[in-house]
Amino acid sequence: MEEEAEAEEQQRFSHQQRLKAAVHYTVGCLCEEVALDKEMQFSKQTIAAISELTFRQCENFAKDLEMFARHARRTTINTEDVKLLARRSNSLLKYITDKSEEIAQTNLERKARKKKKSENGNHNSRELAEAGVVESEK
Amino acid sequence: MEGAGAGAGFRKELVSRLLHVHFKDDKTKVSGDALQLMAELLKIFVVEAAVRGVRQAQAEDAILVDVDQLEKVLPQLLLDF
Repeated sequence: MEEEAEAEEQQRFSHQQRLKAAVHYTVGCLCEEVALDKEMQFSKQTIAAISELTFRQCENFAKDLEMFARHARRTTINTEDVKLLARRSNSLLKYITDKSEEIAQTNLERKARKKKKSENGNHNSRELAEAGVVESEK
Repeated sequence: MEGAGAGAGFRKELVSRLLHVHFKDDKTKVSGDALQLMAELLKIFVVEAAVRGVRQAQAEDAILVDVDQLEKVLPQLLLDF
């Protein structure tokens, strides 16, 4: 069924295009922040190039992460695998390790707060709604 | 490495989709924490590329960061990642 294969190919292509567009948007926002901070503009081609680069780098990252997890006999990629990705530069590794601890700490605190609230009986509904709002903003 | 402040960033869902496209095994999953960390890594990647581009442009007395400047910082960037 050539038509089916072609349709599938087109679907994959437009999925990829949407992903690239999303990456391009985020890259644009980040470059804008840097541009404001450093008072230096980026050409459109530069932003497009960084965006393309980031998209392609994700392929390397994804494949490495999958291999790292498999090497550790896991199917779920965890933060240790991500840290392994950042091994090539000392300052990068330190930054990522610090971030990892920060993330773990934040999530731990959030869980603790949730648990506390559910133990608080009547005060439940309003606070849970607030927690819900905070989460969906992220 | 430059610190990246709060502000723009990669959404977890986007990161998840970007990674899943390239997984060889259907069963491969990514933990929530790992996704958050990957979002940070990608953010740093972009910010580093941008900042190094700026430094190159400043060194060349250029008025903006063009692909010429980016090309020069690319090799070291890719080696660092």
